[in-house]
Amino acid sequence: MPPYLKNLPGYVEAIRNIRETIIANIVFLGQIPAPTFHEKRRALKFMDRLLENDVDECTTDGYQNPIGIIRGKQSDLPPILLVAHLDTTFPKDCDHNYTITENTIKGAGILDNSVGVGVLASMPTILRHLDLSFHSDILLVGVIQSLGKGNQRGLRHLVKTWPTPIRGAICVEGVELGRLSYYSEGMIRCEITCEIFEEKGVEYRFKPNAILILHEVINQIMAIRLPQKPRSRVIIGMIRGGRKHGIIAYDATLGLEIQSDSDKMVKTIFADIKDMVTGISHEFGVRMKMETISNATASRLRYNHPLVKATGEIMAALDIHTVGEPSESELSILLSKNIPAVTLGLTHGEHYHQTDSQMAIDPLFKGIAQVIGVIQAIDSGVCDE
Amino acid sequence: MNKSWVASHTFHYSRFGDLAHLVEKKREKGLKISLCLPTLNEAKTIAKEIIIMKSELMTRYPLLDEIVVIDSGSTDDTVKIAESFDAKVYLADELLPEHGAYKGKGENLWKALYITTGDIIVYLDADIKNIHHRFCYGLVGPLLLYDHIKYTKAFYDRPIAIGKSKIRPTGGGRVTELVIRPLFSLFFPELTQILQPLSGEYAGYREVFEKIPFPIGYGVETSMILDICEKWGLDVIAQVDLERRIHRNQDTKALGRMSFVVIKTFLKRLENLGIIELKKDIYDQMIQYQLVKNDITPDVVKMAGIERPPMASIPEYREKFGPSAPNAS
Repeated sequence: MPPYLKNLPGYVEAIRNIRETIIANIVFLGQIPAPTFHEKRRALKFMDRLLENDVDECTTDGYQNPIGIIRGKQSDLPPILLVAHLDTTFPKDCDHNYTITENTIKGAGILDNSVGVGVLASMPTILRHLDLSFHSDILLVGVIQSLGKGNQRGLRHLVKTWPTPIRGAICVEGVELGRLSYYSEGMIRCEITCEIFEEKGVEYRFKPNAILILHEVINQIMAIRLPQKPRSRVIIGMIRGGRKHGIIAYDATLGLEIQSDSDKMVKTIFADIKDMVTGISHEFGVRMKMETISNATASRLRYNHPLVKATGEIMAALDIHTVGEPSESELSILLSKNIPAVTLGLTHGEHYHQTDSQMAIDPLFKGIAQVIGVIQAIDSGVCDE
Repeated sequence: MNKSWVASHTFHYSRFGDLAHLVEKKREKGLKISLCLPTLNEAKTIAKEIIIMKSELMTRYPLLDEIVVIDSGSTDDTVKIAESFDAKVYLADELLPEHGAYKGKGENLWKALYITTGDIIVYLDADIKNIHHRFCYGLVGPLLLYDHIKYTKAFYDRPIAIGKSKIRPTGGGRVTELVIRPLFSLFFPELTQILQPLSGEYAGYREVFEKIPFPIGYGVETSMILDICEKWGLDVIAQVDLERRIHRNQDTKALGRMSFVVIKTFLKRLENLGIIELKKDIYDQMIQYQLVKNDITPDVVKMAGIERPPMASIPEYREKFGPSAPNAS
């Protein structure tokens, strides 16, 4: 049994003893609105909190990703990367004040991903409290421009320009405690827009309607026969359009995501949908556009990779029920650069993407202990094959 | 009117952001500092206040020695939540029981003097949604760094002039602007320099608080300023810009009741000071009207304007703390 495993259950209680510091960091950071492309204030606060928690060094890279560094004992070893995205899906004018009760924190963006960012900012204090030090440097990075149209630009830049190899990485997400993501599916996220040409003067009474045209697009997508292998799916996640009840919709937008185990299949489905859109555009005489917002390549660690095995053992030692699931976010970028990485959830929660999203406080301490266990595993060499 | 007070006794909280220095000053002076949070059904906000103060001003910088919650009988989970985050929680009714029990913020603040141990006491409302530890260290800073200052008062949201060219609007809430400021202007123009006399956040030395009476309800902020000014002068007071506070908005009727108590407290002080003479007793009922279907019905609330005597006059307190507070500079 690796030596770090036996200490893990004891960490949970020790981390609980400094819960106020951890919760305060989560609240201080989470209450600053940070929609994608507008993360500056939260990024500055992240650095401020890292410094307040006595991180050894604090800096930004060329893309303004804030980075804290906990110095290791062997400067010649590559660093271990801990990453949490700073941006959220909530606009600036949304109320970001959090409510805390005996065992919950509630508010916009708490699960995605204020809790992850707050835990990263607390990590210097937590590791000091547990009297832990490492051979490698630990990089604590709050990446910017991660979500949606951000298309992981912050992390892409970081891994492209970081001057040394990276020994291993952990992507820290709010939920769900127990997730073990070690592979990512191929993905293209795109938007289809439809615009009806407006004419001067009296208009033809039965013009095409942008919403109904997108409805036709949806019908055709639904008719695509998707293969069982490689597993593939199209998620229609968003639709908006129109101006008022009694006027035909002159514009409408459909947001969708194509996911598959195979990058080739993702591209094939994308091309099929694009052909449909072109056909419908000509058929109805309207302007239609299909644009890619973000994409990820399918990549994975094998199930018996030492990092995956070690993470599973760590979760078992903490009595965490493990569920393997894909992740399309930061993990995809790291794995595609051959950086061994996993994505872990910190706690349990509900109303994930809503303004009243809520996290449970108590499981968080186990979630943090698991992250520390994985840092120790990487530091002991599980990614050095 | 001494117009220089506002310039010399107004601070921005950021001036006291060097928390290590404040802790050093506190140690040098041998002082203890207590934070008191008076509560009544504050389950939504109490935990955040306790957690942030504990994390930033007890664990990281030992500026505070204790956090005390004095509850007026909450029917929600306020008490349970506060206890779960290890605050010292007391029910106001159970403190000094031989002196009776009243409901009101002032009552809680008065009883806090008996139960807290600090030489400096910080009072913060427990309903601050955007709580930050600046609310506490901003008020404590002037008390630790300036020997002549004994009482600090918060203002926020409506900041003051900064520099020569940048003017920002000043002022308080509706009750301040419609009630307190006209009264101050009529009788104590110097006190108009206190931008938000009704703000619920203030701090001071025990030796000050123990020597003044405490109205049990809304009048406590007004009486505090008038009594401190009368006993020690305006020079012992400072005000601190805490920048922004997210308030819980109160309806006009509630503000009317608040104004009733404030005016009553004010009139009582004017009479005590011999400034005015009331030829008859004033009433203790606030009468407001409401339209129910087609009937106009009165909504009568009795507010007797009870005041607690200076805590230093209470035998149990003198027994606990001696004739005056320990270590007060």
